[in-house]
Amino acid sequence: MALTARRTCWCSGQIRWRSFRLWCCIVAACMCTTCAPDVECPSCVLRFVTWKPGQPAVWDEIIALFEAEHPGMRVVREIGPHSSTAFHDMLTQKLKNKSSDTDIFFMDVIWPPEFAAAGWAEPLDRFFPEPDRNEFIQGALLANTWEGSLYGVPLFIDSGMFYYRADLLARYGLNPPVTWPEMVRQAHLIVAREARQGRHLFGFSGQFKQYEGLVCNMLEYILGNQGAIIDQQEGRPAIDSPAALAAVAFVRDEIIGRVAPRGVLTYEEPESLALFIQGRTVFHRNWPYAWEVANDPKRSRIAGSVGIAALPHFSGGTSCAALGGWQLGMSRYSRNKKAAWAFIRFLTSSRVQKLLALGAGLAPTRASLYDDADIIRKYPQFAAMRAVFLGAQPRPRSPLYPGLSHVLQRYFSRVLADPGADLRAEALSASAGIGKILQLAREE
Amino acid sequence: MKTFITKKAHLFAGHSEAAFGLGLLAPAFVCVAVFAFYPILYSFYLSLQRIILSLPGRERFVLFENYRALLQDAAAREALANTLAFVAASTILEVAAGLGIALIINRHFRGRGLVRAAVLIPWALPTVVAAQMWRFIMNDNYGLANLIAFGADTGQYRAWLAEPMIAFVSLVAADVWKTSCFAALIILAGLQTIPDELYEAAAIDGATAWQRFSRITLPLLRPALLIALLFRTMDAFRIFDLVFVMTQGGPGGSTSVLQFYGYQKIFSEGLMGYGSAISVVVFCVTLAVSVLYIKMLPGAARRGI
Repeated sequence: MALTARRTCWCSGQIRWRSFRLWCCIVAACMCTTCAPDVECPSCVLRFVTWKPGQPAVWDEIIALFEAEHPGMRVVREIGPHSSTAFHDMLTQKLKNKSSDTDIFFMDVIWPPEFAAAGWAEPLDRFFPEPDRNEFIQGALLANTWEGSLYGVPLFIDSGMFYYRADLLARYGLNPPVTWPEMVRQAHLIVAREARQGRHLFGFSGQFKQYEGLVCNMLEYILGNQGAIIDQQEGRPAIDSPAALAAVAFVRDEIIGRVAPRGVLTYEEPESLALFIQGRTVFHRNWPYAWEVANDPKRSRIAGSVGIAALPHFSGGTSCAALGGWQLGMSRYSRNKKAAWAFIRFLTSSRVQKLLALGAGLAPTRASLYDDADIIRKYPQFAAMRAVFLGAQPRPRSPLYPGLSHVLQRYFSRVLADPGADLRAEALSASAGIGKILQLAREE
Repeated sequence: MKTFITKKAHLFAGHSEAAFGLGLLAPAFVCVAVFAFYPILYSFYLSLQRIILSLPGRERFVLFENYRALLQDAAAREALANTLAFVAASTILEVAAGLGIALIINRHFRGRGLVRAAVLIPWALPTVVAAQMWRFIMNDNYGLANLIAFGADTGQYRAWLAEPMIAFVSLVAADVWKTSCFAALIILAGLQTIPDELYEAAAIDGATAWQRFSRITLPLLRPALLIALLFRTMDAFRIFDLVFVMTQGGPGGSTSVLQFYGYQKIFSEGLMGYGSAISVVVFCVTLAVSVLYIKMLPGAARRGI
């Protein structure tokens, strides 16, 4: 026992002074015999690659709680970039180098297949007993599964949400729109009437810059029209199907530069949300975190007059939200795997997810928390949105997802930004690009 | 100098002067070999293989397969076309603007030192900061470009970076703003080597200002201009950070350039072989253009590089 502690201690150290390290190990060795019998080394520095949280106070509280309950363990947070793509590139760079200075990391919902196939993420099956797994929302767990093994534990779920100005809809006696064409009609009506009063509004804002969020936004239109990006049964691209083409054409002809300003072609989440919380758009598409921001009187001019609903769809289709959310993964090169698991188990536990839900508005991944009285009291929409979270649709699952995403981003951005682009030809060429990548993943 | 070397050479008794010379060159050669030749050759070696980080265990040699695929890759061809357009537009504008700046700060006027220092500020700024600033300038809600174009009439404000053509022009503008002063610095050095007597003699002969510029300044500036062009061309081919910060290649791939495309392939998609092939192409094109420029330089200046 003491020997194990000593060995792990020698490697985990950031502290370079030999004597200090030795001293550390002696202390660690003593502690190992007295406490935390299920954790291999209680005197570990756990390195956690995370992003800058929107609500830092609750994260500080959670980390402090973990350290208090696991004496001797210390969590060092390494803050990565906000953009998911930039975060991916930074994190994979560390993992490619087999660097042992990362123990736990956040994974976007689209990464587990890649991290699993590349051998960067540790399989968690041996740590994570079956009964525990059943408490999680199955769609979120599925996103973390690759070839039968589990590579991450979902911490919170994101799914596309439709926000609206409840005060404006009430003023004109309208109900939240159920279909996209209805949304467009309502938006034009409200914008025109408000303009007569000298208030200049836009109808809608979403995320249409050439980046990952564009894929999520467009997926929702395509699925809401009974289309698909990849035909899962056939394993073939379906981006050039009539349903998918019609949905893309609708966004190009009715949304971009019409109910939404052309500027949405340069917007990620923060810019599009800024427009909404300044009271300059009627409708808005975003992830669940936007609720907290839009109702914060310090940051938002429309606090208290925000409504939330499932995303509209097209007639004949059903509402579909893109599945997002972040998972905790463990590096295969971590030298503190047991301790890392203790941290992952702690963060994804019921009580910490509850803290995150209450403090940061993050939607839990444990199904039972959607019945929790405190959470529902603070976020009544979680009860109503439960079906949306449970039904959120994943993006294509593939170890080559980044390549698929680049093809899709380029295609969507081209046809949306350039009204002269030949939609069918671009769709065919994107389809060919996707087909090539799927073929590559299947080979051998 | 000569005596110094000879004296030193005696320390290496039994070795010829040539061997001593080689010995002196060795450290520099080792540095270049380790930091330049090795990565280039290694990139080439990688570019002949299929290496996909997220599909390990399937690495194999594919010879020129990656290059063949590159030729058929529409996104890569678009990135190449964008890169060439960017190189042509930005280098010409930068050298022209640099020439103008150099002619001005070469004159004697009050506060010249201050102006010379101020001219260098854009160049001294980290590109990421400058790119972020240009992104703000082009913003559709609070951007300076809109304020200049439309004043307080916010209804007219446009999203410049949402238009493929304007996004590309913005990229060129940002680069010209940022690096013209570097060209100016090189051209200024060239200007200062032109003796004043030539201008005096020309003035006595009754040459006009234009004649003095086109018959004396320009021909004598040719080496400096070519060196400025050479440096700017090589830099422009490797444009990456402006694109990364300002547009991420969008909208619709209209600002995607080769280096950014290669970065996406290697760092996001993990296609080490294919991405390396792109790097090798960028290297070869840059090398070819550089050799062309150096051939155009007069002999004396060429030896000076």
